[in-house]
Order: sequence, then structure tokens, then C-alpha cells
Amino acid sequence: MIAGPFILGAPLALLGLIALPVIWFILRATPPAPQEADLPSLRLLDDVDPQEETPARTPWWILLLRILAAALAIFGLAKPIYAPGVQPAGEVSGPVLIVMDDGWASAPRWSEMRSVAATALDSEARDTAAHLLLTAPRTLDTDPADRLSRTDLDARMSSLAPVSWGTDREEALERLDASGLQPSRILWISDGLTHSGDSETAFADQLAAIAPLSVYAAPPRGPFAITGLAPDADGASLTLQRANTAEASDHYVSALTLDGAALATATASFAADANETTVRFDIPAAALARVERFAITGIEGAGSVWLWDSSARSRRVGLVSGESTAQPLLSDLHYVRKALQPFATITEAPVEDLIAANPDAIIMTDVGQLAPELETRVADWVENGGALIRFAGPRLAAQSDDLVPTPLRRSSRAIGGALTWEEPQSIGSYPDASPFAGLQTPPDVKIRQQVLARPDPDLTGRTWARLADGSPLVTAAPRGRGMLVLFHVTAGPDWSDLPYSGTFVEMLRRAIAAGRGETANDTEGTYTPEIVLNGYGRLVSPGPNASPVDASAFADLIPSEDHPPGLYRGAAGTRAINAAAGFKAQPITSWPAGTRLLGDAEARTIRLGGLLLGLAGLLIAIDLLVALFIAGRLPLFRRTARIAAALAVLGLGAGLGTAPGAEAQDRYQFEQYQPDPYSYGVTPNYGTDIETTGEIDKAMEAALEMRLAYIETGDAALDRTTRAGLRGISLILFRRTSVEPAEPHAVDPETDDLDVYPVIFLALPDNAEPLSSRAVERLNAYLRNGGALFIDTRRGGNIASNDSFADLDRVLPGLDTPPLQPAGANHVLTRSFYLIDGFPGRYQNRQLWIESSGGGDRNARRGDGVSGLFIGDADYLAAWAVDEQGRATLSVDGGDQQREMARRFGVNLIMYVLTGNYKEDQVHLPALLERLGEGGEAEDAPTGPQDTGEDGDPRAIDLEEILRRQEPQ
Amino acid sequence: MELDALRAEAERVIRALPGLNLKARAADAAHLGAAGRKRAGSGEQFWQYRHFSQEDSAQRVDWRRSARGDDLYVRETELETARTILFYCDPHKGFDWTGASGRTTKADAARIMMLASGLLLSKAGERVGVLGSGRKASFGKAAADKLGEDLLYSSPSQFPPPPKSQAIFVVASDFYDPVDVWRERLAPLASRSKEGVLLSVSDPMEETFPWQGRVRFSRPGDALFRIFGRAETIRERYLERFAAHNQAMEALATGMGWQYVRHSTGNAVELGGASLKAALEAFGARQ
Repeated sequence: MIAGPFILGAPLALLGLIALPVIWFILRATPPAPQEADLPSLRLLDDVDPQEETPARTPWWILLLRILAAALAIFGLAKPIYAPGVQPAGEVSGPVLIVMDDGWASAPRWSEMRSVAATALDSEARDTAAHLLLTAPRTLDTDPADRLSRTDLDARMSSLAPVSWGTDREEALERLDASGLQPSRILWISDGLTHSGDSETAFADQLAAIAPLSVYAAPPRGPFAITGLAPDADGASLTLQRANTAEASDHYVSALTLDGAALATATASFAADANETTVRFDIPAAALARVERFAITGIEGAGSVWLWDSSARSRRVGLVSGESTAQPLLSDLHYVRKALQPFATITEAPVEDLIAANPDAIIMTDVGQLAPELETRVADWVENGGALIRFAGPRLAAQSDDLVPTPLRRSSRAIGGALTWEEPQSIGSYPDASPFAGLQTPPDVKIRQQVLARPDPDLTGRTWARLADGSPLVTAAPRGRGMLVLFHVTAGPDWSDLPYSGTFVEMLRRAIAAGRGETANDTEGTYTPEIVLNGYGRLVSPGPNASPVDASAFADLIPSEDHPPGLYRGAAGTRAINAAAGFKAQPITSWPAGTRLLGDAEARTIRLGGLLLGLAGLLIAIDLLVALFIAGRLPLFRRTARIAAALAVLGLGAGLGTAPGAEAQDRYQFEQYQPDPYSYGVTPNYGTDIETTGEIDKAMEAALEMRLAYIETGDAALDRTTRAGLRGISLILFRRTSVEPAEPHAVDPETDDLDVYPVIFLALPDNAEPLSSRAVERLNAYLRNGGALFIDTRRGGNIASNDSFADLDRVLPGLDTPPLQPAGANHVLTRSFYLIDGFPGRYQNRQLWIESSGGGDRNARRGDGVSGLFIGDADYLAAWAVDEQGRATLSVDGGDQQREMARRFGVNLIMYVLTGNYKEDQVHLPALLERLGEGGEAEDAPTGPQDTGEDGDPRAIDLEEILRRQEPQ
Repeated sequence: MELDALRAEAERVIRALPGLNLKARAADAAHLGAAGRKRAGSGEQFWQYRHFSQEDSAQRVDWRRSARGDDLYVRETELETARTILFYCDPHKGFDWTGASGRTTKADAARIMMLASGLLLSKAGERVGVLGSGRKASFGKAAADKLGEDLLYSSPSQFPPPPKSQAIFVVASDFYDPVDVWRERLAPLASRSKEGVLLSVSDPMEETFPWQGRVRFSRPGDALFRIFGRAETIRERYLERFAAHNQAMEALATGMGWQYVRHSTGNAVELGGASLKAALEAFGARQ
């Protein structure tokens, strides 16, 4: 039934409107639910009769709401359809033919086109059949003669998707003719673009000739096709097309990797009245190599994606030169660089770095022989698909390695010199199998000198270019998956004119492409589809119909179901078929006379049934809420208000609360930095390693922070004590001095880097294992390089033994020991930080042996007379040892006082190791003072009791004391 | 309300009443605390001298009195015993009810006030307990704990009979049952003690009757309900009856010689606590 612009699918449902007055009456009689209330004092009203029990009336607006909901529901059930383009006369017509463009150009507005097709029958009679003709060719085309009922059409349309190749309307017409269908009306839902020349009016004409034609044209909005790509060394340029040329607009294009990560985005700006624009991507070469496709953001369709195959890539080339680069403009590499720059990314670096970067090709100019280890790596790289291109030169002529395509003679041939009969040669020919085949050679390019290949049966096959006399100019040989190419001349103009010519550029380009098994002119083999685009421009696996493409066919291939747009993999890398390659967007503007053109509004119909029912449901829901509200059962409002208030209060509290909190924290931190000098607790920040995750190795750890080290002896208990002793002295240093050592390290003198430690401790167990000769060797080297070794024989407890060196010869065989002497009472060690009288450890009154400063000639003395070797037996490390809480673990002869002195000795020792004889300068103080005329004052200074032990400030250097010590010397 | 919360509330109420003097209105003899029993026994007040008898130990001889004559005298003090105060809280569901969420229920307010005065009384040396709990009234610190527990957890189904021993009663309820019912219930207690307090607690909703329109009223604890088509029309009648009922209850209390204390949960519980304490302080002062 048609009523104005509305069509009613089930008009009888409108009879339900009669029921509305009844509903109104019933609703009026039913009051809203009463409010519930508890009231204990209801007892007081037990005998009271209510004066007025008549219920309150249903408010008029509730009544209206409910009646409206009922009316909407009734109208909705009548299935109204809004169709402004409806023609009442069409009811008597026969089958409708829907011609639909489902090529890639339809994808951007596919949903519109689909809904237009789905509603094609809405204005027709009930049993009118539809027939569907799709213009994109497929292997299994649907027969246009198939009848589609109203419901069939819906189902068919909802499952229909655009394809990724173009339409072929001629072929579709043939199919229509073959089916013999006679439609009474034709609806052509078109993508509005010409696809091949001017056949469009022809197609429309022929359709119009069959039956009255209506056309719904939906040309894509915005840019819909990437039609070309021009790569260069550091980026790529894309060409974009759009159908509507009216106004200027900006769109975005992304460069994506294969897994969809966007590497770059560029803006495509269309000028007004232009339907084509160019987008420029500036992407670093390394990132460019990862780009697999470009896509227009926000546009669907296979045309909006450009797949980038490997043949169009700009190559990454590494350059290595054998000569020094004192005169960069005269070097061979200059010519290579200039030749390559337009189409390749160039890196110059040592060979090791280049291989790590894995470029497509490496060019070596006159590199004679690589180091054997390096040669293996280069060979590996070549076998993995690299192209190694070498140029000859004096060095290569003298001596070559294995990385040349053919064996060479040990000399070069000079042609056309003063002592030769021959003229300089020009380039003769390129063998047919050579990638250089077809290059034009200017005749004035002369070769004056070359290296010669040894005659070899394979030589002919390996030659890419010959001189006029037939001797090879360029030879190449595959190695693994890669290629070795040798130019028998220099890359510069020394030996030939070749670098001056354009041929050189072309030769280099093709030679580079030979790497990765890809040659620029590979026309052999087939390419199998690896991944293809669907109609919406998404990457999918190839369907069953996608078949391999012959390499030679790529040039003029039209995408089809057999060869859908996508990436095809073959022997020479990947090749892409792009849906919109070379496409020219031309909107169809002329239509045959009598064609009915449907605008968007006219073709579209809106089914109102669901909408009306939904509205009715909404009204009923509102009514329910209102009823609940009246009954007082909607505590929601109150609760939300309370929650909001609570949140506000919380927010305010948080704002007020932060300031005092931060202050407290500051104070706390400040307290943390106040060391307590009387506490033996572990000092804050001590031992906080910068790196605890183990990501950097030990040597780097030691290099980054100053550390003490010890050699593990294998006696677990002793090693623990040693470690604890070093921790103890580190802690003392951290607290008292500006030396802030990190956790001590255990080192193995055989393997670990010793140079990063300022001092190494060795505490010997009772029957120590001798160190290996390699360990001693390295310790010697360490000592020679300025290291310090502290050996503690721990024999001091044995009164009988007076010899600190017992066993040392056995444990450290071959240690390069200089003459030793006991450290005297005026040695720098007694005043490098604290002023101390002796060198107590766990045992008292033991001697400490250091390098003799008097013995030997002065030149032989290492390190400015600073001793690098300390040998003692007082078990110093045990005296320093502390546990995790910073408490001393082992007893000391003289109790706490001696322990303190032992610690002071430890501090002095480390200071001595770190600062050398810096403090020894004070030895000359009397002379200095005298020279300044202040010597007398120093003599007259009151001499008090010198308490250098407990409470004297150790840092105040006491001149008297120094002078007093100076006297015995 | 939990026991701990109840106790905490009660302590808060006690702390909030610092200015009230325990002896503000009462005569010296009738202040909270030990009361003389008018016979010899252990106590502090002098009662009499009597002649020394053989079973008395020599230490009891009052030498100062005996020195005045030839006979030996023993000094005796007046017997002092603690009074017993029994509380009762109406277990009806309608009493344990509040008109607005967040406000304390009437029963809780009553319990807080009674526990607060119970604490004060036990500190003053009186015995306190709960009527019908089955436990004997006790004094000291433990008494307060027991009182709190019994107030919360003992809920006799029937109005309990009076105890055998002498006691003073504090009965808390909303007293919405008819006056005759209450008179019948309270008669045994009144006959046992000539002093007592009726603590009437009501909710602001009950006092103001704010409803309008169609309302379905139900009484907590009763399955019955009544629908009023227009609640606002009944308001006047309700308020009238509410006031009349209160007056009748007060008259009943006065007739028994008891005091009638009213409290609305809309007001701070300290207020009710104060008036309850004032009523307790008046024990023995009104002759």
C-alpha cells in the first residue's frame, strides 16, 4: 500500500489503532503504584477511617506517553517504508535487472551501493523478481537469468563484496546477451568512472536499448587510487587520483610495514580542479627498506593501497676503499659515489660495520687482500645474498684474495703505453647472458690498463663485458645466493675512461641489482602470489583461483581473478601487481537520453518499521522510569548526587593533602643524608650498585665505579672474610672520605680484566694452592701497568714466624717482585689520610713490606716510587671485616682501639694507592717554610700532646708532627 | 549496631556531659551511689557505740570512747548497700526502626542513652542490669560490659515480670501501644518500685508525618498495611493523636510516681542522655 512517500508493508496492522481509545480508558483507570512507607506509629491511626480513598488520577502526560508508545508500536508493525522515489505505476512491471559495478573502485561507497541494490524492489510489486549482473569478471559468474526474490536479494546483497580487480563491462554485456534475459527495467548501480576509454556511453546506451534505464552513480569521494610510485634514495613519491575535482582537500597517506605498523605519514593536498596529486615521503633508507605498502588513510578499496615490491626499491650500498682518503675528490670512490647517488643509499664505513648493517651491495675499490677472519665474514655475507663489487687497482693486481669471480694474474696489463704496440682498447661486446646486455657503449671510452684473468674454461660464462680484443672487462660469479663482480679496471680514471661515461652508471646499477639474486632485467621464471589484496584493500592469503604469473607478463598485466593485486614472489624477489597502477580517474558525465538518474535521496528508501518500534520501546522505558520515580523507588538520583559530592570532597582533600606529604618526604630524604658518625649501621646509599640487572659485564661495572677487588683462593671461609673485610673498608671509606667505592669484586686473575681495579687484595690461606703461571703473568702485567697488589699472609698470629714471605714463592711463582723494605714510620702510608704510627691489623706490631725505594736504579722504579706491592701478615682484612649490619665480625688484639687504627691504616692504604706520593710532597715542607721565611714560626709553635688516635681531627695536618718525623731521616 | 560501637557511642555521650554535677538536684543522702540502710554494718558513716562482747576482737575496741568510763565500747558504722537499677529496651521491630537511612534507630538511641547512664551508675557503685535478661544485676567494671551485651542481645518475647529483689526501673520504648496496655504491663513494676523512668524515643518522621499523595503504610513487624489515598488529609488527625498519646503516657508515668523522658532521634543523643541522667539524679530527691 502506498500512502504519499510511504509504502506500508503490512497495512492491516493499522487496524490496531482502533484499540487506542480502549487502551486510553484502561490506562486512566489504573493509577500509578502507591508510595511505600513504614510507620511504627501507624498503631495510633488504627481506628481512623481515611476520608478520601479515591486514587489520584493518572497524570495527563503519563497518559500521553503511553498512548504515544502504543501508537508508535502499531505504526511500526505496519512496516512503513519511506521511499520518495516511488512510482505507483511500476507495480505492473516485469523483472528488474540490477547491474552492479563491483570492481575495486566501488569499495569506498560499497555500503551505499549495496543498500541501493537491496531496496531496488521496494517500490515494485510483491512478486517482482530481481536479476543481478555484476560487471567485474569472475571465473564463476552468476547467471543474470537467476531469479532473486525480495528476501533472496537481501541475503545476496548482504554477502556481496567488491573484488580487488577492475570491471569489464563489455564482457558483462556479453553475459547478459547470452542469458537471454528480458528485463522490464534496469537499475545500473555504477562506480561512476570510465575504466577503459570511452566505452562508457556505449555500455549505458546498450543497456538503455534493452529496457528503461535508471542509473545510480556513486563515484568515490576523496582520493581512491594510488596510481604510481617513484622511489629514490631517501624516500618515495606517490601519485594519487580522485574522482571529484571540485574543491581543494587534504588527505593522509601512510607508509606501512607488512604487519601494519605505520612508519611515516604524509599529507596529500589536492588543489581545486585537480584530480591528481603527488605525495612525497622522506624516509631514511633503513626504514624505507621495511615499508611494504602505502595506504590512503580512511579510504577502503584495493586501489587505495600500493604494494611495494623489491624491484622498485632503492638499494643500500656500502663503499670500502683500499687507499687513504687524503684527497677525497681524486679518490676512486668519488666516481662510484657520484654514479650511485641518484638511485642508491650509500654508506661509507669499514668492512666490519658494513657487514653488520647488511647492505644490498658492497663496493670495494682496489682492496687487495682482506684479513683472513674478515674475509670469512665477507664470504658469509656474500653467500647470504650480498653483491660484492670490486674494482681493480695496483693493490689488487699485486695480490688478491679468494673473493674474486675468477683467478687473476699477478700483474696488470698496460695497453697503449709508450713501450707497447697496442692502442688503448674500447669496450667490445656484452655476452647475451650478461645483465649488461643491451647497454649502449660510446666508442670513445678507452681502457688503458687492466688486470687480466687467468684463462679458465668458465671464464666465458663469467664474463659480463669484454674489450674489443675479447679480454674480460667485467667478470662475475655467483657465490651462494650472492654475487661477486669484478671490474678489471679502477673505479677512477687512472686506468680507463669508463668512469667518465654514462655506461659506468648503468653498469653499476645493474651490478648492484645482481645482489640478492635479483637482476634488473630478470624476465625468467614465474612468480607465485604470496599475499593478495581483497576488494576492501586488506591483505589476505591468495584464493584458489590466484595463479602464478610469468615474469615477462608483468609489464602489461591487467589484474583479474587469476592475477589479483598483491605481492608475487619469484626467483628475483617480489613483484607487485597494483590495482590502480596507471589508472586515470574520469567520471562518467554523459548518459543516454531518457536515462533516469537517481540522486542519493531518490534511490534510497528507509524502512521505518524498526525505527518506530524502537521509539515505542524507548517511550515505554521512560514511562517505567517515571513510574518508579513516582513510587519513590528511584534512589539513583540521590545516590549519584552523593557520590559526586564524595568525589568532589576527595578531590579537594587530595589537593590539600599533597603539599604536606611532599614536605614530609623532603624532610625524610634530608634525614637520610645525615650520616651518623657514631653508628656502625650500614651507611645509606653505600653499595647501591648502578647496575644490578647484570646487563653489563663485570669489567664495565668496575670501570663505571671504583671498586676494590680480591683474588679468590678457594678457601670459602677465608674468601668470605676477605670480602667482608673489603666491604668493611669500603664502608669506612664511603663514610669518612670522598672515596666512595662500590661493592668489591672477586676477580680471577686468569680471565678477568684487572686493569679496571686500583688495587687487588690477596689473603693467603694456610696451605694455599699456587696460582697458575698465566695468572701470575697477568698479575705481573697489572703491576707493571701501575696496579697495586696487597698480599696478606695472615701469619702474624704465629709469634714464632717472623717472616712475612713464607710460602709466597710457592704460591706466586714468578711474581715480578722488586726489592722490598719494611714501611718506615715516616713513610707516606703513615700520613696519606690519617696520621698513624704503625700498621696494625688483627695482630699488633707486625711489619708491612713495601717496594724498596732506595734499591735499584731510579729509572727502573715503577710508578714514581710509589709502591705497587704490599705484603703484610697482620691479617688486616679480618680486622676490617663487618657483617651485613656493619658490625665487626672478628676480634682484634687490641680491642676497639686497635680496630679503629687498623681501619685508619686501611684508609691510608687506599688513599696511598689512589693518590700515590701526593702527600709525600710534605716531606719538603721544612724547606718550603724556610724559603718563605716562616720556618721560625713553625719551630715556635706550641707543642701539645699529639693525639692522632681517638679524637684529633685527622685531616688537620700537623706540621710539628711531620717535622718531628722528618728528623731521623 | 555492634556492641563496640554502642559502647563507644555511650562513652562519647558521657564525655559530652561534663558540666552536669551528679549532685546538682539531689539531696546529699540521695545522690547516686551507696545508700544508708539504717542499720549497723559495713560502711563509712557512724552508726552507734555498743558494748564490747566476747566474740569481738580486741582491735575493734574504740579506746577513745572506752576511756571515758569503765566499760569497753565498740564503734559501729551504718550498713551501706548499692541500689539496683534495671534497664529495659523494647524489642519490638517498630522500635528498632529509623525513618531515614543514616539516622540511628530509635532502639539504638535508647540503648546508647541507657548504657551511658548505666556506666555512670556503675562507676558510682550502683548495681545495674537488664530487666528480664536472666543475669543478676552487678556492679563494677564488668557490669557495664554485661549491661551492653544484655541491652543488645536479650530480647524477651514478653514483657518481663519484675524481679524478686528491690530495684529501680528504666523502661525505653516508643510506647505506641494503647495506654491501657502499657498500664497493665507496668503495674507490676510500679508496685515494686516507686521510682522509675519511662524513656520514650520517637523518630522525626513519626513526629511530623511528612507524606503526601497515595501512600501504603505498613507497621514494621506487622504484616498488615493500610493505604491512604491522600496522606496529607490524615496529617492533622495524626499529629493530634500523637500529642494526645504522649500526654496520656506522661500522665501514666506521673501516676506511678515515675518520670517520663522524651527523646527524638532527630536531636543529638547527648541531649536525651542528659535528660535521662537528670531524671536518674532526681531519685530519692522527690519526696
